[in-house]
Amino acid sequence: MRKYEAIIILNPNLSSKVDNFLKDFEKLLKDNSFNILKTEDIGRRQLAYSINNHNKGHYLIFNIEGDSLKLSEVENKIKYNDTIIRYLFISVKEHSGEDSQLLIDSKNKNNDSESEENLDKKAQEKVNIKSDDSSVKENEASQVKENSEENASNNKNETEQDDE
Amino acid sequence: MSKYKIPERFSFKDINLLKQFITETGKIIPARVTGISASNQRKITKSIKIARFLALIPYTDMHK
Repeated sequence: MRKYEAIIILNPNLSSKVDNFLKDFEKLLKDNSFNILKTEDIGRRQLAYSINNHNKGHYLIFNIEGDSLKLSEVENKIKYNDTIIRYLFISVKEHSGEDSQLLIDSKNKNNDSESEENLDKKAQEKVNIKSDDSSVKENEASQVKENSEENASNNKNETEQDDE
Repeated sequence: MSKYKIPERFSFKDINLLKQFITETGKIIPARVTGISASNQRKITKSIKIARFLALIPYTDMHK
């Protein structure tokens, strides 16, 4: 029995079918007498360079243990799977057991985007309030203008009357 | 004092750490510049190469 870490990058267009893939892959591992100790679904990530014209990838990380001979069988099975754009099996001495930095980062990113959305909403509300204020000011300004125009016309009338 | 926070175990997943050991163009910075121990430099180098394969960090800045 050896301990392995499996990293799989899925086609981002098939992100919605991740659950199906997870089931299939776990079944494949179990059929080959692997124990799955931990599964991490990192989610879609920007790739540092494009692979097969994909700029994003859906990352999955598995902590598994099993036989090295069986591993090559698993590898042969997933080699020609179109949904996988890259995979890597690394043998490790010990599994860390903690959440990987990638998973933490992706979670933080999700939280950030949510909070940013909230901030955006707040900002929009503020803008709305401000626009209300400005519209009120505009109204006042226009009223003032009208008044001045009226005054001007009155003055004109007066001058016309004077002429008469 | 070293300017790097060296963890007990290196992992290709800790991208922010690995990015300190590559140049802007993506090259691995040599040990004579980083000044970390030879053993740690080997581990870092290995992690960087794995992270590159998994498209977590670039091989170069010339990628299209």
